[in-house]
Amino acid sequence: MSVAEVNEVEAAQAGQGLEVSSVSFAYDGAPVLQEVDLRIAPSEFVCLLGPSGSGKSTLLRLLAGLELPDAGLISSNDEAIRGPSLERGVVFQNYSLFPWLTLAQNIQLALKKAHPQSSESWRRQHIARHLQRVGLAEVADQHPSLLSGGMQQRGAIARMLALGSPILLMDEPFGALDPVNRAKLQDLVLEIWAATRKTVVFVTHDVEEALYLADRVVMLGSSPGRIIQEITVPFARPRSRRLFKSHEFTELCERIDGYFREEMLQRIEAGIEAGIEVLPAGRA
Amino acid sequence: MSVAGSQSNLAGASALEATVCGGPVLVRPAGGHVGGRTTSPKPAWLRVQGREGVLFIAGVILLWQLVSAVIPFSGHYLFPSPVLTARTLWVSLPELLVGTGYSFLILAPSLALAITLGVIWGMLVGTAPALNRMFSPFARFVSPVPPTIYIPYAIVLLPTFRSAAGFVVFIGVFWPVFLNTCSGAATLPRHYRDNARILGLRRGEYLRRVVFPATLPQIFAGISIGLVFAFIMLTVAEQFGASNGIGRFVQLYADYADYPRMVAGILYTGVVVWISMEVLECIKKRALFWLK
Repeated sequence: MSVAEVNEVEAAQAGQGLEVSSVSFAYDGAPVLQEVDLRIAPSEFVCLLGPSGSGKSTLLRLLAGLELPDAGLISSNDEAIRGPSLERGVVFQNYSLFPWLTLAQNIQLALKKAHPQSSESWRRQHIARHLQRVGLAEVADQHPSLLSGGMQQRGAIARMLALGSPILLMDEPFGALDPVNRAKLQDLVLEIWAATRKTVVFVTHDVEEALYLADRVVMLGSSPGRIIQEITVPFARPRSRRLFKSHEFTELCERIDGYFREEMLQRIEAGIEAGIEVLPAGRA
Repeated sequence: MSVAGSQSNLAGASALEATVCGGPVLVRPAGGHVGGRTTSPKPAWLRVQGREGVLFIAGVILLWQLVSAVIPFSGHYLFPSPVLTARTLWVSLPELLVGTGYSFLILAPSLALAITLGVIWGMLVGTAPALNRMFSPFARFVSPVPPTIYIPYAIVLLPTFRSAAGFVVFIGVFWPVFLNTCSGAATLPRHYRDNARILGLRRGEYLRRVVFPATLPQIFAGISIGLVFAFIMLTVAEQFGASNGIGRFVQLYADYADYPRMVAGILYTGVVVWISMEVLECIKKRALFWLK
């Protein structure tokens, strides 16, 4: 398969939907998610937004098939998700790459699994293509520990793309990065999404990040995690960073913060749990 | 006998205990021990080895020389001076080297077999809960038995001395390697497993490409304990009934009351073990280059 053909195949694979129906999940007896319903359209970019403990990462693990729900059903293209599959690529906050393999070897491992019949030279060509795409062609033979956090996440994205999955799941992938790197990587993700039209589910606790990236923001509240609000992001694409300065953007940010504050207040008043951490400013 | 002899024995024993006592710590989750060892700042280490360490050894040799000169009745016979020991060591070197050859002929195959089986079985037991439930009670019961206790029986039971010594070396190396590998594989950080599942690795690939490299720090910790045990087992076994080897050398000249040769043999053994540990350390540093 040539590079152009692969791009076509990727385009054809673009967009599988995901469906979560009345899913509950407990960890060691403690409820993490309760009665979650969510439908994600093919090629949609959805951000799961919520404070720590809202179960947003758990929801992503369930979508990936790394955990199975205690009740309810999760499906993709009308097929129940019973475990991880190459249909869904994942990027974690860190540690997505194996530290004993070079960047190229990490990508190669993914390519071998996604294309078991492929030849050595085909794989070499595609390792280069994927690393080129995320701007890491120069450091292909480096080990992850020698790369910066931003480069490691670029590598993780390249590995995810190498799997050729129609659905991309990202668990706070830029949470540990400095603002400049985070901005660059956000733009990289938008660029990849625009080019491939893959379905993206992106977990974050940063309101601005969610509004900049997503078609739709799904807000989760904690104890136990559940969906408290969904917002369709009204801003036209392609979006520029000037958006952050606009009145509409800041107003929407305020509104989302307001929902979380209201949710927290209600819980404190209900005496369920006092002093819970809501969208810590320092980490956002 | 000799202040210096017992001193060097004591030093040997406490170094050993330190290594062996390091064992249980390593059995706990992911090894800070190894990290500490590999990341220690080199200049400081060199300084210590280069000055304080050498000065201390020089002091010990000086004290040894003084004591051997002062002890009146033994002269150089029961308590040989460092100079006499060094001369004897030089003269005995050919015999010691041949002995080392015989010792390594027993040591190397047993070591290789014990490490191979310990690592493979440790990874399997560490990652398969059912195997773990099956094997753990047995391992908990059998692994604490001090392996030297098998020596007399092994010598009677097995047809040749070589097979008996090989067997007890195997036992001494297998358990620490197995226990460390097993606990390392069982406490593998979750993200390695997650990534392996995301990539759709099959069990064999998972063991080979993920569990094995991820567990290497613990595997090396097990091997360094095992290597010390191997030398203990071998030299003790040789003192029981070998016709060749380093342990046999020491025992033989003790029987002939040739104490300069005996002390030279002890010193030489220390050097051989030390060099072996250093070689292992080099291999470990190369294999764990990715560990930050």
